[in-house]
Amino acid sequence: MAVISGRPARGALLPSRLVSLGNSRTGSLVVFIIRRILWLIPILFFVITITFVLMHLAPGSPWDKNGGRQLSQTVVNNLNARYGLNKPVYQQYGLYLWNVAHFDFGLSYQYQGKTVSALLLEGWKYTATLGTLAFLLIVPVGVSLGVLAALRQNTRIDYITMGFSTFAASFPNFVVGMLMVVAFSVLLYKWTQGSFFLPSADFALDDHLVLPVITLALFPIAYTARLTRASTLETIRQDYIRTAWAKGLPERLVVIKHVLKNSLIPVVTTLGPLFAFLVTGSVIVEQIFNIPGIGRAFVTAVASYDYPMILGTSILFAIVIAIANLVVDVLYVFIDPRVRLT
Amino acid sequence: MSAAAIVAMACGGSTTTSNQNMASADKQILRVNDATEPNSYDPTQETYSYEYAVGREVFEPLLTPKADLSDVQPAGAASYSVSSDGLTYTFKLRSNAKWSDGKAVTASDWVYGYKHFLNPALAAGYVDPFFDGTIKGADGYAAVDVTSASQIDSFLSGLGLSAPDPNTFVITLQHPAAFFKWVVSLWVAVPIRKDIVEQAAGGSFPSTDTTKPEVWANNPSTIVGNGPFKISEIVSKDHTTLVPNTNYWAGAPHLQQLIEYYIADGNTAFSKYQTGALDIINVPVADVTVVRGDAKLSKEATLFPELTTFWMTFNAHEAPFDNKDVRMAFAKALDRDKLTNDVLHGTDKPIQSFIPKGMAGYDTSDNAQSFDPAAAKALLTKAGVTADQLNKFKLLTRNSSGSKTINQYIINQWNTNLGLNMQLDVIDSKTVTQNIRKGKFDIYGPDGWGADYPDQQDWFDIFTSAACHSLNWGCVNLPGYDDLVKKADTELNQQQRNADYLTAQKMLIDNAVVGFAYQQYEYDLIAPYVHYTWTPFDAEYVPGSLNFSNAYITTH
Amino acid sequence: MAAIPVGALEQSADWEVPEQQIGLWQDAWHRFRRNRLAIVGATVVLLLVVIAITAPLLVHFKLIPDPYTQQVENIEVGPVTAGHLLGTDELGRDTFSRLLYGSRVSLAVGILVQFIILPIGLGIGLAAGYFGGRIDNILMRFTDIWYAFPDLLFVLVVVSVFQQYTFGNVIAQMVMIFGAIALVNWVGLARLVRGQVLSIKEKEFIEAARSSGSPPMKLILKHLLPNSLGPIIVTLTFGIPQAIFLEAVLSFIGFGIQPPTPTWGQMVNSGYESIYANPSSVVFPAIAIGFTLLAFSFIGDGLRDALDPRMRR
Repeated sequence: MAVISGRPARGALLPSRLVSLGNSRTGSLVVFIIRRILWLIPILFFVITITFVLMHLAPGSPWDKNGGRQLSQTVVNNLNARYGLNKPVYQQYGLYLWNVAHFDFGLSYQYQGKTVSALLLEGWKYTATLGTLAFLLIVPVGVSLGVLAALRQNTRIDYITMGFSTFAASFPNFVVGMLMVVAFSVLLYKWTQGSFFLPSADFALDDHLVLPVITLALFPIAYTARLTRASTLETIRQDYIRTAWAKGLPERLVVIKHVLKNSLIPVVTTLGPLFAFLVTGSVIVEQIFNIPGIGRAFVTAVASYDYPMILGTSILFAIVIAIANLVVDVLYVFIDPRVRLT
Repeated sequence: MSAAAIVAMACGGSTTTSNQNMASADKQILRVNDATEPNSYDPTQETYSYEYAVGREVFEPLLTPKADLSDVQPAGAASYSVSSDGLTYTFKLRSNAKWSDGKAVTASDWVYGYKHFLNPALAAGYVDPFFDGTIKGADGYAAVDVTSASQIDSFLSGLGLSAPDPNTFVITLQHPAAFFKWVVSLWVAVPIRKDIVEQAAGGSFPSTDTTKPEVWANNPSTIVGNGPFKISEIVSKDHTTLVPNTNYWAGAPHLQQLIEYYIADGNTAFSKYQTGALDIINVPVADVTVVRGDAKLSKEATLFPELTTFWMTFNAHEAPFDNKDVRMAFAKALDRDKLTNDVLHGTDKPIQSFIPKGMAGYDTSDNAQSFDPAAAKALLTKAGVTADQLNKFKLLTRNSSGSKTINQYIINQWNTNLGLNMQLDVIDSKTVTQNIRKGKFDIYGPDGWGADYPDQQDWFDIFTSAACHSLNWGCVNLPGYDDLVKKADTELNQQQRNADYLTAQKMLIDNAVVGFAYQQYEYDLIAPYVHYTWTPFDAEYVPGSLNFSNAYITTH
Repeated sequence: MAAIPVGALEQSADWEVPEQQIGLWQDAWHRFRRNRLAIVGATVVLLLVVIAITAPLLVHFKLIPDPYTQQVENIEVGPVTAGHLLGTDELGRDTFSRLLYGSRVSLAVGILVQFIILPIGLGIGLAAGYFGGRIDNILMRFTDIWYAFPDLLFVLVVVSVFQQYTFGNVIAQMVMIFGAIALVNWVGLARLVRGQVLSIKEKEFIEAARSSGSPPMKLILKHLLPNSLGPIIVTLTFGIPQAIFLEAVLSFIGFGIQPPTPTWGQMVNSGYESIYANPSSVVFPAIAIGFTLLAFSFIGDGLRDALDPRMRR
């Protein structure tokens, strides 16, 4: 969905699917939003189908234990009956679709008696906290770095900022996360008191979040900074900015009024993919820092063949990404008057 | 009796802290790391050790193991008697036994709990020990159609469970079973409150319903138990807080809070222990050298035996593993000392026999499987098996870091000591289980068994031909073994029983039914101010868990 | 597919198609050579390729220890101990030679995955762009949907399902993981190719050819290839670090190439377990992954700048 293959940094701001048509802007906006929400249906259908097929190709059974006493065949049969796994696969599939249409994501296989919705809700607060904090860090820090680098082009500030961005944009987040763990909780143990920075239990909005949020936000910050720098450079070469400068307006005013507004446009286009990145990133970061969020729950679910949980997580992530893209596209309409809607 | 003497030596015991003074009530908080959250808080649905680490504190069975594991002792029941034919168990309940909400525990609660557990529709994972020729009528379990309420109801009402009066709970057996006292001491055999289950479910429900009877277990306020503790808070995937059940028959425990954390990553737990945020943790193998090198930590570390043995299984359906000499060659080509001392940093101990140290039947006199590469090679030559024949076989390995490390070492041992070039086959753990169930493997390991209860019957049954493809993955044919074990299982003379089991163990070792490898131990850190009593039967990673009702924090 | 770092956001989908080619490649080469970072990246990658190819020879001539030899007396020792330059792992195997061997898997994943992506992306992009209309619509909606699927989740499920069919065979494991990674990474290329085809179709010479009766497909192919080679190469180059990254993440979570074959992700995974006993065992492979990705994205940046026609002034 997200357009990340475009090159907003060098002009060409128009994503391919925002084709111009209608004339009543508000009316078409509503139509546009409705269409995009309806578009979720085929996406979810696809996500469910693929995941469902893959899971049923797997030979293992969710009731197999990782060693020791195994369940007897009788108990396995009864469990299959209890969770509807004794029905033909197409029936299970139809039933699942029907239930999902009624917002019922079923019962977890691993956590007996708990619904997938309840489990997702439990994990959501961790994943959402992490994602939101990272998001709040990315835009201001990334944009400031980018604008700063552009306004001080070819100075030491520019080189340092861009050097940092280049590194951060290439180093994978799990490597960065681990190196930080080694640095702060092993090598600097005496100073940091180790677990101070490692969450997992008593996870709260405190220092435990510092390393995970930085790990998650580092790449997007670096990317946003690079993007903002490029678009700011382009903006300040525009005539009207030169004029403003020439008129002797204070630099800060020019920056805030014109430069920032214009160079933010490409940044907005990347917010959608950014969200998708945060979602995938959460899987990795939660694994490194032992955060009991949804990403970690997904990995556990894959390992334990908890089909409903795997499906539920995939659906939730797909919805989050799709909605983020929708919001970004709508935002885009307001920011850039050149864009018209279908 | 030698077995009992060993038991008395090996297990049970309190920590001898120099300062035995109990700290003030506000300091009576014990924080342990249980590593994984229970999949369910309904004890009848629990199958893993990390689950009953919580379940056993909240719900109490009729009997409980003595600290030295030599026998059971009364718990939920005040006393019990067995009829002379060994078929009727009469449990006299404690008159002062109360639920955590203050109501009296009655015999009908026990009947309801057992029936809740044995309802086939709910498919509890640990029912096998109960319907395998024990409770009368339970052998019909498999035949019940779980979509038919009438079938389930008639099955449940036909079970040999009755409550002749509110203080008496009677269980009738199919045929005599000397080990049944252990079966009723399992965490799944507990009373459950019908009124609370139905209230949480929003009314009564048919016995085919599988969702409503479990609703109560999701909410601390409806998890009402008869054990020493009750749950005050569940923070999912993070921790569960237990507080004293002030109505407990033996008096409320000293601990004012028992917090079970679910920190899966051993390094994080280790780090938290060092900062004083946890009182009991298991030390990850990788951190053992760090603990040993630290003056303070090394004093707080203890090595506990667990009633768990690990071995390597050979698929006897496949030539040449049907040949006992070939199996023995592999068993003798493994340097167990290096495995446990170096690879596992001394956190486990080598074993060349079946029954682990700490329970009746532990005997190390048979050295047939001892490490001897030259003899191993000679056995292969004797069997006429060439390296080329063996190199096509793979060692099936579970996709967990522990299994991967151990098996890389073991295959390297075999390749080096037998002159082979065999490979690992590392796959997803559930698929491994599926494959061994179908007999689709060459060699599999480390495969193991942890005691459900410390009676040999629980152990020797797994290598019978009836267990082929269900626990006896290798399916080695041992003439005479089945009869011997069956005789010992029903034998009432304990001395004769032990002698028979000893002969059975010798058969397993000498025929290299499997290659025994190591007994699992636990290397734990325990804060010096924790006063506790441990047994080898405690929940994994939570030493002392069987007797937390007596644990306390000393002044520090 | 969403959410892959490393240059992913800067692929070039909408380059203009220049009508003439004169000296393009020579020009590009000049510009690439002037880009110092790109040259550094290329040197690092070249070095890695040499290491990957010669690693078995180095072991053969005993210049480095055998990465499979276990020394259980020296488990998890730090750097420069007991003859181990970078220390040892949890079975006492030499970290340095495992690191060198690990480059084989990483490079193979990075580069070979691109050979799977190329035909898929090319095929779908060509079909969509050439036929247009309903086929284009269907194919593009399909890629949109594919794009909405969180990639790491998909790869995880695929690998966990198909792992059992590899029977411990390294090649089979690699093929499966290549396939899974390729399956989530072709979208960018397909979109790029479609865009290129569409813009070629608008050119006058295509109209002329169409009216003169010669099949436009041939012409499009003839023009597509030289004009789009640049952006395709750049896209694929940026795809290399993405694939290496995904494989490393998979190994880190425990679903990647299985032991005893050493891979960097696996080394990070097992090293992470012993961060207190031997922190260097996670630091070295982590740095190896980081700098390899950095090198590839330097090359990618350099290639993009060198091949972008608009950079020609």
